[in-house]
Amino acid sequence: MLKGKELALPAKHRNRQYAIETKKKNSIGKLLSIAALVVLAVILYMTLNVRVDNPKLFWYSMSIRTPKVIAMLLVAFCIGGASVVFQSVINNTVVTPCLLGMNSLYTLIHTTAVFFFGAGSLAARNTNVAFAVDLALMGTIATFIYSFMFKKTKYNVLYVLLIGTVLSSFFSSTQATMTRIMDPNEYDTLLATLVASFSNINTEIIVFAVVVAALVIFVLRKDLALLNVITLGKEQAINLGVDYDRAIKRLLLGVVLFIAIATAMVGPISFLGLIIANLSRQLLRTYRHGYLIAGSALIGMVLLVGGQLIVEHVFVYSVPISVFITVGGGLYFLYLLLTQKRRL
Amino acid sequence: MFAKNLTKIYYGKTVVDSVNFEIPKGKVLSLIGPNGAGKSTVMGMISRLVASDAGLVDFEGTAIHKWKSRDLSKRLAILTQTNNIQMKLTVRELVSFGRFPYSGSHLTAKDIEIIDQAIGYMELTQMQEQFIDELSGGQRQRAYIAMVIAQDTEYVLLDEPTNNLDIYHATNMMKTVRRMCDELGKTIILVLHEINYAAFYSDYICAFVGGRIAKFGTVKEVMTKENLSEIYGVNFEIQEVEGKPLSIYY
Amino acid sequence: MICKNLEMTAMTIEERSIANVGTFFMIYLISPWGRLLDLSKNYSSTIVLLISAIALSVLSIFIGVINLTPADLLAGNFDQMEILVISRLPRLLAILCTGIGMSVAGLIMQQLCMNKFVSPTTGATISSAQFGILLALLFMPSSTIWSRAIFAAICAILGTWIFVWFVQRIQFKDVIMVPLVGIMFGNVIGGVSGYLAYQYEMTQAVSSWLVGSFSTILQGRYEFVYLVVPLVIIAFIFANHFNIVGMGKDFSQNLGINYNFVLFMGLSIAAMITASVVVVVGSISYIGLIVPNIVAMFKGDKIRGTLADTALSGALFVLTCDLIARVVIAPYELPIELIVGILGSLIFVAILAYRLNHGRKAIGRRSAEGIVQ
Repeated sequence: MLKGKELALPAKHRNRQYAIETKKKNSIGKLLSIAALVVLAVILYMTLNVRVDNPKLFWYSMSIRTPKVIAMLLVAFCIGGASVVFQSVINNTVVTPCLLGMNSLYTLIHTTAVFFFGAGSLAARNTNVAFAVDLALMGTIATFIYSFMFKKTKYNVLYVLLIGTVLSSFFSSTQATMTRIMDPNEYDTLLATLVASFSNINTEIIVFAVVVAALVIFVLRKDLALLNVITLGKEQAINLGVDYDRAIKRLLLGVVLFIAIATAMVGPISFLGLIIANLSRQLLRTYRHGYLIAGSALIGMVLLVGGQLIVEHVFVYSVPISVFITVGGGLYFLYLLLTQKRRL
Repeated sequence: MFAKNLTKIYYGKTVVDSVNFEIPKGKVLSLIGPNGAGKSTVMGMISRLVASDAGLVDFEGTAIHKWKSRDLSKRLAILTQTNNIQMKLTVRELVSFGRFPYSGSHLTAKDIEIIDQAIGYMELTQMQEQFIDELSGGQRQRAYIAMVIAQDTEYVLLDEPTNNLDIYHATNMMKTVRRMCDELGKTIILVLHEINYAAFYSDYICAFVGGRIAKFGTVKEVMTKENLSEIYGVNFEIQEVEGKPLSIYY
Repeated sequence: MICKNLEMTAMTIEERSIANVGTFFMIYLISPWGRLLDLSKNYSSTIVLLISAIALSVLSIFIGVINLTPADLLAGNFDQMEILVISRLPRLLAILCTGIGMSVAGLIMQQLCMNKFVSPTTGATISSAQFGILLALLFMPSSTIWSRAIFAAICAILGTWIFVWFVQRIQFKDVIMVPLVGIMFGNVIGGVSGYLAYQYEMTQAVSSWLVGSFSTILQGRYEFVYLVVPLVIIAFIFANHFNIVGMGKDFSQNLGINYNFVLFMGLSIAAMITASVVVVVGSISYIGLIVPNIVAMFKGDKIRGTLADTALSGALFVLTCDLIARVVIAPYELPIELIVGILGSLIFVAILAYRLNHGRKAIGRRSAEGIVQ
């Protein structure tokens, strides 16, 4: 195969293999310790202030808390995974999928429903129906728009994003216009659904969301394997035999669907993805996306469950968790910008 | 591998104007010419990074865009100038990517052997666990070349490999290119600005002017006073060093 | 650096040399005749824009729920005069100030950052101004429009400064990253204001500053927007300075201009214009983004030559949108922000598409081009 100099000595060779193995073990070790934190947070969340003496109350609080915890874990997984993929596709670590405009689309859908059908209508009242409608609408609208834009911009992903933000500001201004002429009472009920919350999740929604997420992963399993190469940049990826345009389009649509699932479940959560994806990158310092995605999802779970724990027991629900995420995420974003030495 | 009537138009401006040439196998071919002559665009088109607007690039009897990208990446490697990575990637990990067309992300024992050889070949063994972004420009360039070597293709295309390198590293880069051709039997196509590197280290030179081929031939044929003056529009003198024609321009 | 270079390449060689003030003055000193010729040629577009703006203004005065006719006005009908003075005229003036102010603010910001995608919307200025208004409402519930305006202006200036400071510090691979970062920055500020509004149950009240509308413009409640006029005049005086500062720190120091001072002054002017519009009318997106871009497509990037055209085009654009907003569901009217949002996003996407397909001539050069020699 290669003639010329052959420097590789067997002993050195083994050493190197060993070095790679330790690096892998390092990453896995870190992931395991975060996973342990997740378990700890979940156990704390489930058991804190539970009345063990009264079985009736015990099961009641379990039935309330279990879906909440599962929802948080699922949302963390969706947002964490989607954010890492999104950043790698854009090849930039200071972006978050909230640029895709799913938040404003969600807000618009809910406002439209209340505006035209009233706060008492089925779509506004029944959480299951609302979830299905949200997911279907967000999924189809976003997939349609983004596929179309990919085609029109000749697969220039930054243009796609910029047009996406234009559309999302268009959605917001439409939504804001509706709220202006809305009955204040209806507006109050609407507002409650527009703030991220984990309280109105039920089992059916969770099952449905898991199924959709699993389906997306299954369809994209081959594209996900290309992520490591995609981060080398467009030209290197093509050189290494990746069908670049197709891969980033499919991956981005996957991101859109994942964010749609998360948003439809709990409402708009911006900036969570930015925090956890970057923490995962900083902590694991690897290029392997398997680890990065797992790390991001696990960190997200710690943050969400731990944050909810604090919100419920320290602040006694006075501050919604989305506030912590927005403020913390905003500060973290500025920190990232400040410390970013390399080019963006 | 040959190009027939190859044409590229950017925003109404013809950058490459129905170019015809054949790439001599097992040799080093340098593409030279003034800025904007279209040499990098030609490079992009023969490596399928840039789509042509007319004409065709034939690679082993099949048009280049009809090849499956994965198959082509086992036969032809291209290294462009723009290589900035956001990831924390070590030299070894970068070189390992060269095996991606063959094994995906799961390296076999044979892959590891080839990676070791490529790293050794570019004398990067000492720094193979260092991160790419902590290296100097010359070292980073060598790491990328090692990746291309690990890709183990018959054809290697390098777009201005000496760009941003000092005299020492640039000259060593050209020596490596020569060795890759002589020792590993690769066909190498370069875009070069420094014509004396092209003259000293390549077998053939293809000179572009205004999107067309002005001269194509062996180094001796192209490197004449008249030809170069015509291509670049300045005065040239040719001197022989070690049997190779080198130029002085003023 | 990189992003600046890209934008520089977008300017043709001639434009760059004209931008060099030295040459600029030389040409004009040597050839006074050529200057007269230039005047008639260069200002033809300005004259056309001016005439159309005046025509639309007149139209705007006479459209509305209550019928107003020129004949009655001339006859001295007191009721009609009252409507004119209390409602129609303030509205028209507010529209003109908004259009002129927002487009000039956008132009200044684009020139200073040398990026065609920066504007009050994509540069966190509008969201900062809204944040300021919210603070004023929270801490001084009985605040007058003046104190709100001061809060808004201070926040807008600070927000814009911080954003530009970040943008200047970071090297961007692609020009489009700058507005994307700006939008995220705006989201952060918007998120904080959203929470504060939610916490103090003021969301619906605050939403009136989120949606620009001219329907509440009446005499005595809008005069603050006049602040736009002196600010635009200052901008016009310093136009050449902004142009030079946009060429970079070294470039301006070479020409003896205090880079930081002009940069911060320019940004403050843009932010104050934005704040005074947001306080009176509410936020109006896109004007600052699209109007300067469209004008630049026809007239190039020299700010002195395009400032008047940009201001007039901005006024024209808002006048048109306002007429549409009033006519579509008459006798009611739509908030202007909705019309501007729809038209603006369509136009912006069209500009992007044009830029993508035509590259050079449009706004800046498409940068992620790959191998182009």
